[in-house]
Amino acid sequence: MFRRLIKSNGFGTTCDDAPVSPHSPSLSGRNHHAILDAAGPSHVAINAISANMDSFARGRTAILKKQPSHMEAAHFGDLGRSSVNYQAQETRSRLSKTVDQILRDNVALPYFIQFMETRSAEHLVRFWLEAESFRSTSWSRVRAHSLNSVKHSTLAEPAAALESPDSPDSPNDPSRASTLNEGDEEDTFSSRTSSRPHTPSPQDTNSHTGAPIGHRNSPTLRSETPTRQPSSRTGTPVKGQSTSGLSEKLMKSIERDAINIFTKYISPDAARPIPITEPIRNDIVAKICGEDGQVDPNCFVIAQSVVFSITEQQHFSEFLRSHYFCKYQIEVLTSGSVFLADILFCESALFYFSEYMEKEDAMNVLQFWLAAENFQDQLAAKKGQYDGQEAQNDAMILYDKYFSLQATNPLGFGDSVRMEIESNICREGGPLPDCFNTPLRQAWTTMEKVYMPGFLSSNLYYKYLSDLINSVRVDEFTGGNANTPSQGWTPEGDRNSSQGTKKAAVRILKNFDEAITVDIASLDPESLYQRPYAGRMTFGKVNELGQFIREAEPEPDVKKSKGSMFSQAMKKWVQGNSDEAQEEMAWKIAKMIGSPEVKSTKVHYLIILISTNFKFKN
Amino acid sequence: MQQKRHNITGTSRNTKKLANTTEASFPGCLKAKHQRAAMATAPYNYSYIFKYIIIGDMGVGKSCLLHQFTEKKFMADCPHTIGVEFGTRIIEVSGQKIKLQIWDTAGQERFRAVTRSYYRGAAGALMVYDITRRSTYNHLSSWLTDARNLTNPNTVIILIGNKADLEAQRDVTYEEAKQFAEENGLLFLEASAKTGENVEDAFLEAAKKIYQNIQDGSLDLNAAESGVQHKPSAPQGGRLTSEPQPQREGCGC
Repeated sequence: MFRRLIKSNGFGTTCDDAPVSPHSPSLSGRNHHAILDAAGPSHVAINAISANMDSFARGRTAILKKQPSHMEAAHFGDLGRSSVNYQAQETRSRLSKTVDQILRDNVALPYFIQFMETRSAEHLVRFWLEAESFRSTSWSRVRAHSLNSVKHSTLAEPAAALESPDSPDSPNDPSRASTLNEGDEEDTFSSRTSSRPHTPSPQDTNSHTGAPIGHRNSPTLRSETPTRQPSSRTGTPVKGQSTSGLSEKLMKSIERDAINIFTKYISPDAARPIPITEPIRNDIVAKICGEDGQVDPNCFVIAQSVVFSITEQQHFSEFLRSHYFCKYQIEVLTSGSVFLADILFCESALFYFSEYMEKEDAMNVLQFWLAAENFQDQLAAKKGQYDGQEAQNDAMILYDKYFSLQATNPLGFGDSVRMEIESNICREGGPLPDCFNTPLRQAWTTMEKVYMPGFLSSNLYYKYLSDLINSVRVDEFTGGNANTPSQGWTPEGDRNSSQGTKKAAVRILKNFDEAITVDIASLDPESLYQRPYAGRMTFGKVNELGQFIREAEPEPDVKKSKGSMFSQAMKKWVQGNSDEAQEEMAWKIAKMIGSPEVKSTKVHYLIILISTNFKFKN
Repeated sequence: MQQKRHNITGTSRNTKKLANTTEASFPGCLKAKHQRAAMATAPYNYSYIFKYIIIGDMGVGKSCLLHQFTEKKFMADCPHTIGVEFGTRIIEVSGQKIKLQIWDTAGQERFRAVTRSYYRGAAGALMVYDITRRSTYNHLSSWLTDARNLTNPNTVIILIGNKADLEAQRDVTYEEAKQFAEENGLLFLEASAKTGENVEDAFLEAAKKIYQNIQDGSLDLNAAESGVQHKPSAPQGGRLTSEPQPQREGCGC
C-alpha cells in the first residue's frame, strides 16, 4: 500500500515507474499557488457553473470573482476561522431534532408543547421543564453559596478558614447565595431558563424556579446580600450565625419550589399527575422532606427520566411527522438565515439538495463530503479503539477515488492537500478521525459559498418549502393531528381514523399552477388534474398581501450565502414574472394561504413566490 | 440445490409488461399532455423523484446493483462503500418519467450507525442478500427492523436475492425467501448485478408500487418525509374546473 502511494504521486524519492512530479521536491516555490488552487472552488465547480447559463449561475460566478480573498481566508490554513472550524459546531441541523434538543430549544419548544396539548400530554413536558429548572437552579444556588462561604471564610482569621470545612456551609447546605455569584454561574442554563417565558409558560405559577432566578433574584434573596457582607468580615462566629440564619431562608425557598412542583404533578390528587410509580413518588417525598431538613435538588431526576422516556417513545416520532414540526421547520427555513449544516444534516433537506447538486454537476463534492464525513464519524465514535489497518484501507479507498493522480473522481485538490492526506493516512497506527479535515473543510466551504446561495434561491428549495407548508395544510384540514380526543396518549384507533381521513382527501401539488385534491370516492386518473384547491378564499387578504409584497425587504444584516440572496431572488421573481395566468394563480394561492393557521408573513411571501414560479428552470 | 426460479421471466418480458401498463393505465389525453410537457425541458423532464436506499450485509452486491442499474456495467473489483454514495437514473412508470435518487449504504457493521441517518424519508428500500451466502439471508430480520423503524410506514421495501447467476453455489432457496417476503409484506426478486438479470425490474417494481400508493392516496406526497419530490416539467394549461364539494371537516374556514 505504501508502494502504491509512492508510485502514484512521487511521494518518496525512490520511485521508478511513476510519473514523479518534477515540482514536488521543491514545492515551496509553488506552494502558494497550490494553496490558492486548493482554496478556491474546484475547476469542476467552476466549469459546472459556467456551463449553466442560468442567471443564477451568472450571479454565482460573479460572487466567486468578487470573493477570492474571502474564500482564501476562509479556506486555508487558519483553523481558528468560523467556517473553517466546522467540526465541532456544525454537526447538527436545526431541522432535525432529538427530544433532548427540542426541550432545550426555545424556538422548537412551543410547537412541541402545542403538539403535546393535542394529545393531552403537555403536562409531561411542563413537569420536565419545571423539574429541570428547579434542579439546575437549586444546585446553582447551593454551589454559589458554598463558593461564597469559602471565599468569605478566607477573609476572616486563619482559624476560621480551617474551620470552614466543618462549618454548616457544606456544599449540600442549601444556604443563601449571593446575587453576584448566581449571575456568573450556570450561564448556559440561565440563558435557557430566561428564555422560558417565551413558551406557554410553565413558570407562571412558579416564579422561583423560572427565569427570574438566574439574574433577577427574588426580593427576599436580594435584600439578604447587604446584610450578610458586613457580618462576614467580623469573623467566623458571627458569620456562622448569619449564614445559617439566611440559609434557612434559602432552604425554605427551595423547599417551596419543590413542593409546588410536587403539588402540581406528583401528588396523587394533582390535577395532572405524571405517571410514576408509588416507590418513585415516595422517593421524591423522602428527598424533599430530608432528615436534615434539606431538599435534594435532584429529587425529581428519576421522575424526569421516566417522563422523558414516555415522551420519546410514545410521542416524539409522531411529533416529527406532525404539522407542528413542519411549522417549526418552516420557521427555521424562513428565518432569513439557513445554514449549510441545516441542509446537510437533515435528510429531507438533503434529498432536495442532492438533486440540486446533481443538476449543478457537482455531485462529486457532495459525495466526497458525505463519504469522508461518515468515515471520520464512525472512526471518532470508536474513541481510539479501532483497527488501524482497516481504517487505513477505508481511507485509501477515498484517496484513490478523490485524491490520487489517477483518481476516478478528481475534485481538484492541490498537491499540498494531497500530500497532507497521504501523510495522514500513512501515519503509524493508521489514520486518525481528523484525517480528512482539510479537504472536508474545503468541500464544506465550496458548498456553502458556491452552491448554497443558488440552492436557496432555486425551485427545488421552494418546492421543499412548499412541501412543508402543504403538509401543514393537509394535516390541518384533514384533522390529522389536530382533533385527537383526550383519552390519554396514543389511542391506536384514533391514529387509524386520522389516516383514513387523510386518505379521503389527499392533496397532490402535482403542478405548481394548481393544487389538486383527489377525492377517493371518485378517483380516476383524470381527477389528478382537476379541482384546484379552492379552499379558503378570503378576499380581504388580497390587499394585505399586495401591500406586503411591496414592503418586503431583504434583511440587511444577513450574509449573502445565508438568506439575503434568497430574499433578493424572491423580490426579483415576484416583480419580474409577467405571465398572467401565473399571477392569477399566485393570487389565488395567496388568498387561500390567508388562513389564521399560516400566520408568518414570510410564509405568505414564499407561497406567492412558489406559485409565481411555475416554470422550472431546470 | 437445483431449484427453479419461478419468477425469472427475463428482462424482455418484463419490459413488455411495462409497456402494456403504459398504454393501458392512462387515458390518451393525459398521455398527450405529458408528452407536450416532456418536450419542454429535456433532459430534466421527470415528474417525480423517488428516494431509494439500498441496504444489506457487506459484499452482497449493493453497489454493483446500483452501478449496473445506473451505468449498465458490472464493476468486478469495486472497493467497498465508505458510508454512503448515491446514484440516479430516470425511469418511466405508467407514462410518467420518474427519477430515482438511490442511496447506496455501506454494509460493514462499523458504518451502521452513520448509514441509519439516510433511511429517513425513503420512498423505497432495496434490501439485498446474497443467495450464495446464507448468513446474509439470516441477517435480513435485523435490516428489516432498521428499515421499518427508520422509514415511513408507507415505504415500499423490495427484497433482492443477488448473485442469481451463481446457481451452483446457491445457499438460499427461492421459495423460502419468497415466503419470508410474503410474511413481511415485501416485494421479492432474485437478480444478478453481473448479468443484469432483473436489475431494472428490481428498481422498477418498487417504483410502480410507490406510484400506485400515490394514486390511491396512501402515500401523502405533501409529507416532507415521503421521499418523493413531485413537480411538473412545464407549466400546465391550467384546467381550472369547478370547485369541489367541500369535504373538509373541522377546518374552521
